[in-house]
Amino acid sequence: MSTSAKPQAQARESIFKRHENLTVLTIFVAFVLIIVLTQLISTGFREYPTFISPVNILNILQQVSVPGIVAVSMTMVMIARGIDLSVGMLASLVSIVVSLGVSRWGLGVVPSIAVGIGAAVVLETLMGFIISRTRVEPFIITLGGMIAFQGIALLLSNSREVVMQGELDFLTTNLLGGMRDPVTGLVLRLPPYVLMFFVVALLGGLVLNYTKYGRRLYAVGSNPRAAFLAGIDVKTMTLSVYVIQGLLVGIGATMLLARINTGIITLGTGLEIDTIAMVVIGGTALSGGRGNIVGTVIGVLFLGSIANAMNMLRLPSEVQFLTKGLVVILAVSAGDISSRISEYRALVGERRRGRAVPPAASQEGGQDGSDTSVRA
Amino acid sequence: MDEILRLENVSKTFPGVRALDNISLVLNRGEVLCLCGENGAGKSTLIKILSGAQPPDEGGRIFFDGREVTLSPHSALRMGIHTIYQEHIVFDDLDIVENIFAGFEITRWGLQQRQQMRAETERVLRYLKSDLRPEQRMRDLTSGQQKIVEIAKALVFKSNVIILDEPTASFSSREIGNVLDIVRTLRADGIGIIFISHHLDEVFDIGDRAIVLRDGRKVSAYPIAGLARSTLIKDMVGRDPASFYRREPVTPGEVVFAARHVTGNGVHDISFELRRGEILGVAGMVGSGRSELMEVLFGSAPLISGEIEIHGKPARHASPRDAIRNKMCFITEDRQGTGLFLEKSIGENVAVANMVNTRGLVARPADDLRIGAHYIKLLGIKAPSARTRVVNLSGGNQQKVVLGKWFNTGGEIYIFDEPSHGVDVGSKQEIYKIMVDLLKAGNAIIMVSSDMPEVISMSDRVLVFEQGTIAGELVGEQIAEETILTLSIGDRKA
Repeated sequence: MSTSAKPQAQARESIFKRHENLTVLTIFVAFVLIIVLTQLISTGFREYPTFISPVNILNILQQVSVPGIVAVSMTMVMIARGIDLSVGMLASLVSIVVSLGVSRWGLGVVPSIAVGIGAAVVLETLMGFIISRTRVEPFIITLGGMIAFQGIALLLSNSREVVMQGELDFLTTNLLGGMRDPVTGLVLRLPPYVLMFFVVALLGGLVLNYTKYGRRLYAVGSNPRAAFLAGIDVKTMTLSVYVIQGLLVGIGATMLLARINTGIITLGTGLEIDTIAMVVIGGTALSGGRGNIVGTVIGVLFLGSIANAMNMLRLPSEVQFLTKGLVVILAVSAGDISSRISEYRALVGERRRGRAVPPAASQEGGQDGSDTSVRA
Repeated sequence: MDEILRLENVSKTFPGVRALDNISLVLNRGEVLCLCGENGAGKSTLIKILSGAQPPDEGGRIFFDGREVTLSPHSALRMGIHTIYQEHIVFDDLDIVENIFAGFEITRWGLQQRQQMRAETERVLRYLKSDLRPEQRMRDLTSGQQKIVEIAKALVFKSNVIILDEPTASFSSREIGNVLDIVRTLRADGIGIIFISHHLDEVFDIGDRAIVLRDGRKVSAYPIAGLARSTLIKDMVGRDPASFYRREPVTPGEVVFAARHVTGNGVHDISFELRRGEILGVAGMVGSGRSELMEVLFGSAPLISGEIEIHGKPARHASPRDAIRNKMCFITEDRQGTGLFLEKSIGENVAVANMVNTRGLVARPADDLRIGAHYIKLLGIKAPSARTRVVNLSGGNQQKVVLGKWFNTGGEIYIFDEPSHGVDVGSKQEIYKIMVDLLKAGNAIIMVSSDMPEVISMSDRVLVFEQGTIAGELVGEQIAEETILTLSIGDRKA
């Protein structure tokens, strides 16, 4: 599925292939509009809505960048019919390894980061190996991985947090040094990891769309048996997505560590929930074979802006969870609900026509409307 | 005799096909009525009507115990009409008692009466002279033992009619003996039995009367005592060859593919040669090892011993990738399960297999669309564009997408497993024409088929399979329904 198809082409083809990202994009835009309108109304249309002020947008981007990086590889894992519950604990483990390397083992900054990312790659490869060579569900393997990684992390850190002296600060430098928001007058911040997120997303999108590897990944997730018979090495493909996942979790965890300066077991808490939520909001199917990076990026921005918007509207933080949950359910079921509605409309229309015209003519009724089948 | 079930002028029409045409039959208590006919003769449809799974067309009448009835799955069970299908429908992880009573548990105040159900199960198993224990798990039983459990299930509840669809397919001879003994016991107890089997030995062993179906019509009905085998076979085949598709002849060239003593995946010692411009038909009953051999040749199942030669050189196919690189193509029987990516577009489906042969890392969606558009035009696929998802296409057009996928690999040796399975008559002719065009272009085809007219009209030579090995090879004038059927039911005497 093309994520970068031109809008004109989409309009022409819309009956046969509604763009996968249209539904979630619509909901996201509606959400932004509601927040902006609420802000405008509450200030009597006198102030610029702070939700879409540059400083706030950059704020949201800083919040979502790390989960966003992991969401890119999670998209690939899920397109290949997998899932990875271990990313949160793996991120915590990486943060502890890197911070220990820097502050206790005296490895130096770059080698420490390399060891941390390397550990993530090795552990994910191990899980990927088991998943691709056995018939055990990836859900179970990565659940086991999650628990085991927690154990390793706690053993390494003696169940204590590892405080650093700002050795990774170079990863959080402000690339917009000295610029101020024209709306709020606050200092604008753009750390490198925000750019990193966009670079990773761009690369992921290109790989999925424009390489043999990417196209085959969809085939593997869509129908592994048919993929095998079409000459695709399904096992190696399945293994590869977990290797990529390890690499990106390692990078993401290092960024997160740079932000909070402390290697700690809670660093990655909930990362797996957030990334999976972002990916499914973006339209990737749990059953594999479907999804794309543009959708995932929308999902990342959407989920990230919910908490922020709730703060803007001065709603209690408890409401955030409720809203997040509802958004996941809405985004995932909206496509299905809308197609059911149109199917129902087509059916009603057909019945009405069936009454007015002789039965021979009514048989062709299903061809128009939103019925997309092209039976010949 | 005492009549239990009667059909009068029952027909069943599917869009474009008359699966059953004016069938009338009577089943008496305490008799075994055998339904005979080739694949696609209408046996399965008839069973579905008797089990209530599908309603007959208007106009036909069904009588049960003298009263006219309408059959639904529920009412059929209430009347004691039990159907035991060829495929087992079991709960693997539950035990025999739980399987038998699934959905019909004996309860008191909402609690299961396990003891009572167990006792009932034991009683029936004893009646069937089976040494199975009620608490054995289905997973641990052989398919023959599972069949016995299914029969037991029919007997635990009131039973007047039992329909057995290929009850002995893929069984060992001892298990076949057990099942036939059980059928005799049931008959002695006054149950009416409809028995369907490809194995004529069993029909003659156990049947009282036989009805022969062909192309949805009842051709003949006679008592089995005194019936000659040849009469039965003639009636089962007897289609008019003039109605078959007429294929353009192509002169065969040199040998491009050879199997030498190929063994593995349930087939043994298979040897044959295939020439350029030739269709080698592979006939035999379902389960005789035809598709299993194709999997071995294509590298999707391991070769245990023997050799494959391509253009005279030995070839090793460790996976389908090797086979594709050796210019082989495999159009599988299960189009949707193993041939297509249903949710993906025509373009993506067509482009994927050739990635084995292309250089570099890049694969652009625009290329998929271009290739897709090419094959839409070339093969006459009815779709608005290469972006159309294949799930939205008809069976015939889906099959053409599969063909496009393989043409795109530039293959020369084609394996077609049931090439026209589940496609309408028009598409069938088109697919045949495409196959002949392939031959003219110098390719070679191995065609597995259960469709007798297809085998006869398309094949230059026919290999007939029986029990995992070649029962015989037919050439030219020898290729006829009667010879093929005779070989495939293991009846080499006739």
